[in-house]
Amino acid sequence: MSETHIQIENVNAYYGRTHSLKNISVQIPKKQITAIIGPSGCGKSTLLKCMNRLIDLTDGVTYSGKILIDNEDIFDRKTDIVDIRKKMGLLAQRPIPLPMSIYENIAYGPKIHGLKKKPDLDAIVEKYLKLVGLWEEVKDRLNSPASQLSLGQQQRLCLARGLAVEPEIILCDEPTSALDPVSSQYIEQQLLKLKNDYTIVIVTHNIHQAMRLADYVIHLYLGEVVEHGLSNDVFENPKEERTRAYINGTFSTELKIDSESDLKGQLCPFNFVYAKQALHNLEDGKILKLIVDDPIAVTEVPRGMEADGHKVLIVKQINKTDWEIVIQK
Amino acid sequence: MLAATVFACLLFFLMLVGLYIRASPILSIVPITDLLFSSVWGPSDGKFGFLPFIMGTLWVTGLATIIAVPISLLSSIYLSEYAGNRLRNAVKPLIDLLAGIPSVVYGLWGVLAVVPFIKNTLAPALGVETIGGYGILAGGIVLSIMVFPIIISVTGEVLRSVSQDMREVSLSLGATKWQTIKHVVLRKARPGIFAAIVLGFSRAFGETMAVLMVVGNVAKVPTSVFDPAYPLPALIANTFGEMMSIPLYDSAILLAALMLLIVVLIFNILARMVLIKIERGVI
Ligand SMILES: Nc1ncnc2c1ncn2[C@@H]1O[C@H](COP(=O)(O)OP(=O)(O)O)[C@@H](O)[C@H]1O
Ligand SMILES: [Mg+2]
Repeated sequence: MSETHIQIENVNAYYGRTHSLKNISVQIPKKQITAIIGPSGCGKSTLLKCMNRLIDLTDGVTYSGKILIDNEDIFDRKTDIVDIRKKMGLLAQRPIPLPMSIYENIAYGPKIHGLKKKPDLDAIVEKYLKLVGLWEEVKDRLNSPASQLSLGQQQRLCLARGLAVEPEIILCDEPTSALDPVSSQYIEQQLLKLKNDYTIVIVTHNIHQAMRLADYVIHLYLGEVVEHGLSNDVFENPKEERTRAYINGTFSTELKIDSESDLKGQLCPFNFVYAKQALHNLEDGKILKLIVDDPIAVTEVPRGMEADGHKVLIVKQINKTDWEIVIQK
Repeated sequence: MLAATVFACLLFFLMLVGLYIRASPILSIVPITDLLFSSVWGPSDGKFGFLPFIMGTLWVTGLATIIAVPISLLSSIYLSEYAGNRLRNAVKPLIDLLAGIPSVVYGLWGVLAVVPFIKNTLAPALGVETIGGYGILAGGIVLSIMVFPIIISVTGEVLRSVSQDMREVSLSLGATKWQTIKHVVLRKARPGIFAAIVLGFSRAFGETMAVLMVVGNVAKVPTSVFDPAYPLPALIANTFGEMMSIPLYDSAILLAALMLLIVVLIFNILARMVLIKIERGVI
C-alpha cells in the first residue's frame, strides 16, 4: 500500500446513546480512491463527517479517538478546523448549489480565503469549470443562478467549487445517487482523473461503483469495519464471510442473461418500445440485456422500465458510443 | 364552518366597500392630489390636507422600523444560529408574550418611562427642544418594541428553513460560522427577512393606541424626530365621533381609514406572498 494520508485510530462516535462508529481504525492511502461500502445506516456518512468534523454540527454527538491528517489530529480541540476543512473538498449526496450565481459558487471559497482581485478569481472560475468539463456549457451564463443548471451540471459545479479551494482530499458521500446514469458516469470519470492529484474518499452503497473506482475498500457493517484492503483483494477474494455475502447480495458476477437485444441505431421512442416488447416476451425474474447508443435512451429506458416495475440492475458504458442496460423483469 | 369562513372573508370586502362609499363625498369634491399633498388641515374652512398625517405616520413608522430591524435581526440570528436549544426554548415564550401585551400598556410605559427619559435626559443632552418629551422619537421607540416579536419570530422561522446542507457546504469550503451566516444563510433567507420586516412595518403602520399616547398629536408636517406628529390612526381615534357637524369631516376621517386599510393590506399581501413562496421552496 502506498503512503498513508488519513490515519484513523480507534474512532468511536455516538448520536446520543446510539453507538454509530465502533472502534474504527483504518488508513486511507494518498492519491488513491478509497471506497467506503456497506448497507445503508452502517455509519458511512458518519465516518466521512468525522473526517471534516462537520459532525460537530449535529446536536448530541460525541466522538473519541484520533484522525491524523499530515500528522495533525483533527479531533484535537487545538486544531484549527477551518484550516482542516480547507484541505478537504466535499461532494454531497445531492448537489447543493449555494444561493448565488454559477460564477460566485466557484469564487466563494477562494474569496473567503482572501483572494480579492477580479482577474485572479476569473482565472480560477475558468480553470475549475474547465477541469470538470462544464466551461463550454456555462461560459455564456456565468452570472445566472446556479440552481438553473441541471442536476448533473450542478453536481459538477459542486465538484469544481470544492476543488477551487485547492484541497488535498476530496470526500464524496454517495455523489451520484441523485444523478442519471450519464451524469453519474461523468462524475466517475472525473474522479478517476482527479486521483492523480488528490486523495479521494467515496462513500457508496453501490458495489459496482466501488469496483469501477476504488483502489482501496473499507467495508463497514453496523458501525464496525468488517474488512479493509486493496480493492482487488477485497472484491475477488474477501477474507470475511460478511463481505462475501454483501458483495454477492448486491452483485452476482455471473449474471445469467436470458435474452439480449441490440437497439443500436434506434432512436427514442422506438428503442423504448422494443425494450418493452423484449421484456414482455420474458418470464418474470428473467434478465434482459440491452445495448443502446442513443444518449436519451441511456437515461429514459431505465427510468421507464423502473416505472413499469422492472428492476434495473446495471447501466454502464461499454465503449465510446454504446451502453449496456441490464434489466430484470 | 364554511359559512363562517365565507362570512369572515366577506366582512373584509364589506368593510372596504363601506369605507369607500362613506369616503366618496370628499373624494368627489376635493381633488385627490389636494387630499394627499396639501399640508393645510382646516376642516372648518373645508381644507382637508392629509399631508401632515401621512408624513406623521411615515416618520413614526420609519423610525420604529429603523430601530427595530437591526436589533430584532441580530437577536433572531443569535437565537437561531448561536444559542443552544435551552436558551431558545426559554426565550421564545417571552417573545410571544411581548406580542400579547395590550397596546395601551405599551402606551403607558411610553408615557411613564420613554417620554420622561427624552424630556429630562436625552433632549437636554443633545440641546434640542421638545414638547415635554412627546413626539416622533417616543412614538418610534415604543412602536419598535411592539414590532420586535413579529420580526424576530418570522425571521427565526425563515432562518430555520435554510437547509443544514447549505451551511455544511459553506463550512466544508473552510468558511467560518459567521462567514457562512453572512454570505450563505442570510443570502438564502433574504426574501423571507424582507417579508418579516414588511410585516413588522405594516403592524407599526396601523398601530394606534400606544403611539397616540406618546406622539404629541400636532397636525404639522414634522421635520425632525424630536417634533411631535399626528399619525393617521391617531387622527381617526381621536376625532371620529366628534366635530361631526363640520361638513365632510366624517367623510375625511373615513377616507383616512380607507387609506390605512389599503396600505396595510398591500404590505401584508406582499409579505405573505413571499413567505408562501419560501414555504413551497420556490425561493
Ligand atoms: N443526526 C443523527 N441523529 C441520530 N442518529 C443518527 C444521525 N445520523 C445518523 N444516525 C444514526 O447513525 C447510524 C449511521 O448513520 P449514517 O452514518 O448516516 O449511515 P450511512 O451513511 O451508512 O447510511 C444510523 O444508525 C443512523 O440511524
Ligand atoms: Mg449516508
